[in-house]
Amino acid sequence: MATTTAPPATAFPFPREYFFPAFFTRQPNLTIHHAQLTKWSSLVLAYARHHRIFRLALSAAAESDLFFNRALDRRLAPPDIREVVDFMRKDGRAEYLQPGDAGSSSTSSNNGGGDGSSSSLAAAAAGGGGDVVLIYWRKPQEWAALIEAYVDETAQKGSVLTVYELTEGENTRGTEFHGMDNGVLMKALNILVKRGKAQIFGSEDSLGVKFF
Amino acid sequence: MFLKHIDLTTALRPSYLPDEVLLFVQDNVGLYEGKYKLPNQQNGQVYLTSHRICYVDKDEPRKHSAALDLKEVDRYEFYAGFFKSSAKVTIVPKPLRRSALHNRVMSGTGVHSRHSTPSPTSSNDAYAPPSGPPPASATWVCNICSFSNPVPSNFDPAAANAHTPLPPCLACGIKPALSLVLKAAITSASRPSPSPNSSQPGNINYTFSSASAVTLGLVDPFSSPKPSDQGKTDTTVSFQCPRCTFSNHPSLLSCEMCGAPLLSQDVPTTITPSEYIRILSQSPGPIKDTSQGAVDFAESIKISFRGGGEKIFYERLKSAMTQRKWLLQDAPPAPKSNRMADDNSPGGSPGTPTQRTKTAGIAGLEQLGLNMRKNNEILIGSAFEDLEALMTSAKEVVALAERFAQQVNGASADVTSKENTILAESAHQLGLITTKDIVGSGGGSDSLYFSELARNLAEFLTDDARGVLKRAGGILTLVDLWAMFNRARGGVELVSPMDFEKAAQMWESLKLPVRLRTFRSGVMVVQARDRTDDVTIKSILAWLQDLHEFPPDREVVWDWREFGRGVTAQDTAERFGWSLGVAEEELLMAEEQGFLCREEGLEGLKFWKNYIGKTDIAVLQKREAQEEADAILRRLKDTGLM
Repeated sequence: MATTTAPPATAFPFPREYFFPAFFTRQPNLTIHHAQLTKWSSLVLAYARHHRIFRLALSAAAESDLFFNRALDRRLAPPDIREVVDFMRKDGRAEYLQPGDAGSSSTSSNNGGGDGSSSSLAAAAAGGGGDVVLIYWRKPQEWAALIEAYVDETAQKGSVLTVYELTEGENTRGTEFHGMDNGVLMKALNILVKRGKAQIFGSEDSLGVKFF
Repeated sequence: MFLKHIDLTTALRPSYLPDEVLLFVQDNVGLYEGKYKLPNQQNGQVYLTSHRICYVDKDEPRKHSAALDLKEVDRYEFYAGFFKSSAKVTIVPKPLRRSALHNRVMSGTGVHSRHSTPSPTSSNDAYAPPSGPPPASATWVCNICSFSNPVPSNFDPAAANAHTPLPPCLACGIKPALSLVLKAAITSASRPSPSPNSSQPGNINYTFSSASAVTLGLVDPFSSPKPSDQGKTDTTVSFQCPRCTFSNHPSLLSCEMCGAPLLSQDVPTTITPSEYIRILSQSPGPIKDTSQGAVDFAESIKISFRGGGEKIFYERLKSAMTQRKWLLQDAPPAPKSNRMADDNSPGGSPGTPTQRTKTAGIAGLEQLGLNMRKNNEILIGSAFEDLEALMTSAKEVVALAERFAQQVNGASADVTSKENTILAESAHQLGLITTKDIVGSGGGSDSLYFSELARNLAEFLTDDARGVLKRAGGILTLVDLWAMFNRARGGVELVSPMDFEKAAQMWESLKLPVRLRTFRSGVMVVQARDRTDDVTIKSILAWLQDLHEFPPDREVVWDWREFGRGVTAQDTAERFGWSLGVAEEELLMAEEQGFLCREEGLEGLKFWKNYIGKTDIAVLQKREAQEEADAILRRLKDTGLM
């Protein structure tokens, strides 16, 4: 379910720790553990950016070479993966996908600390729903800024664009948000709406955005 | 010199001479020399051994500990204590040859009087340890117990008033009336003795101090001892008592009539007048001046037992004095090979060197081997014979031991000292003496037992001959040590685990060179004091660094040049000679400090050098603060405020 678009030809350059066997074991020492989580989180973000991954299915990712170093035959255990994701979530770099949240506009605002944890609890309660994680190698605010800048540059303020146009259209080719995940895009657009810079209208499949 | 400085072991106990056996230990004792307290030796432990009496000071053990040899002891007296004064055992040294001392005094005087200048160097050579001032010659007699006490040297009859502090009677502790002391001081001052206080011009020879019978007996010290002017020994010279003027025999130490000291405690000494006055002014009351040192060889030593234990000490001392073990030290070893010689002698003594030199080559070697085997055979044979002899007498020995046990158990408070002595002696003869017996009773007998056990343990650990700690890689679990220690005791006087732990916990407070360390898991280990966590971590890291250089035994999938190798507790135990439990604890300790990290895999728990890195919380917070400040600045710039 990992959404990848046009995997780049070059292989992802894994960091040095990825080849260190002890990196795949949860460290009991608190300071080392913190360092471990930091390194894992930056590894996940770099990996996601490299492969343009927006959502990560944890069960599938556990088998991918992100968390499974086949050369070393070492893997990060699923509970530890969840811990890494939780750590990223606290940092505002990840978010569990809410069931019924997929792609649709949602009123749930972005990552507030308490809000995030409650959503994770809900995800855990929902069972399978907690498997997919949105990886914010750019935070929604940053995406929002990018889109705003694009609209500004191309002088499309006041005009109406469809969401499809934004991600898949010819004009956005070459921008970073081309081929962006719908869920993340909606979060970014919602931020713009809140700021009063945009307005979303339309129904489920044909959403339109008007920028001011 | 009666009291000698002694060497202490690492555990701050006296180091024993060969064959020396510890008989008794008592803490909370002080030392007196004559009637005076020795200021530096007022709180310590006394060790009675078969050869010596050792005093080990509590505060400055290396500096102020002293011992006296039992062989130099003439007699010893017991003083049971009276009112405020605690029980004491007085030990009187064997008198130095009086005539010789007398001669030296006399000849020394002769030199000085002839040249009429004191020659400090020569007299220093003759009497190496300089002695301080003599106690005041004046004595006052106690109204209560009629004990004659010395008037304190700093007592000035002219300045004394009702508020002048007066030392109590040395025997009964009752303070004298001022008039009594005043009278005594005035009487003594009015005597025509050359008192050290009376300043004399020119060359004053303080060799002649007031209490010296020689001086006191004669009006002019510089001219009168005629016989000695010729430098001859004259034993016919009689000493006039300074108090009752009775003419005593020169070899007497105290007056036959009144008991006043004749040749008093002081060693003839030559010190400069200024120094002398300084010393004099410093000496307050009955505490002995430090500058005097413990050198008065004519003076008796008193051991004051403030914490009890004096009776046992006295009894043990008595038995040690009767046994006179120190004589054995120089005695030739007991003949061991009598039987062997007997066996060999009829065969034309094949063991003689002449015979041995004849045989050479292989035959010689064979002969040598044969001899050795024969020796071994005899040795083993005799050993087992001894054992058989013991078996036959075992019944009696057991019965004897049982009787002792019964007596000990049935012993109530009214056990006479005689019975006690017999018991102690017999037990000692059987070699059944235990530390608990050695340690004196009293208020803190338990803690004394533990501290002795702690010292004993520390000695056991640091003993280079055994090398207990060294063989265990410098670290040993307490349980292992307990087993080892009890095994070393040969099944006699085993230590219970509780006592053992308590003793081990006293190492810290006793400042012994070993320490007890408790790991997080509760495992207790014993380590040398200098072996800290840092040292351990350093050695582990150095080892892990080495693993970068040496290729692992088999192919590994990671880059061992970069990361080295993970080590298990087993590897570590083998590498450092630690026990498995210790190795695990040390690795965990290093991990906790952030120098190692772990890897849990199919091969078990492995430890690696920490390549994941550390996050220093402080650095992290600093960075966050920095970022925040940057963000504010940026916003300010954006809004055009800056």
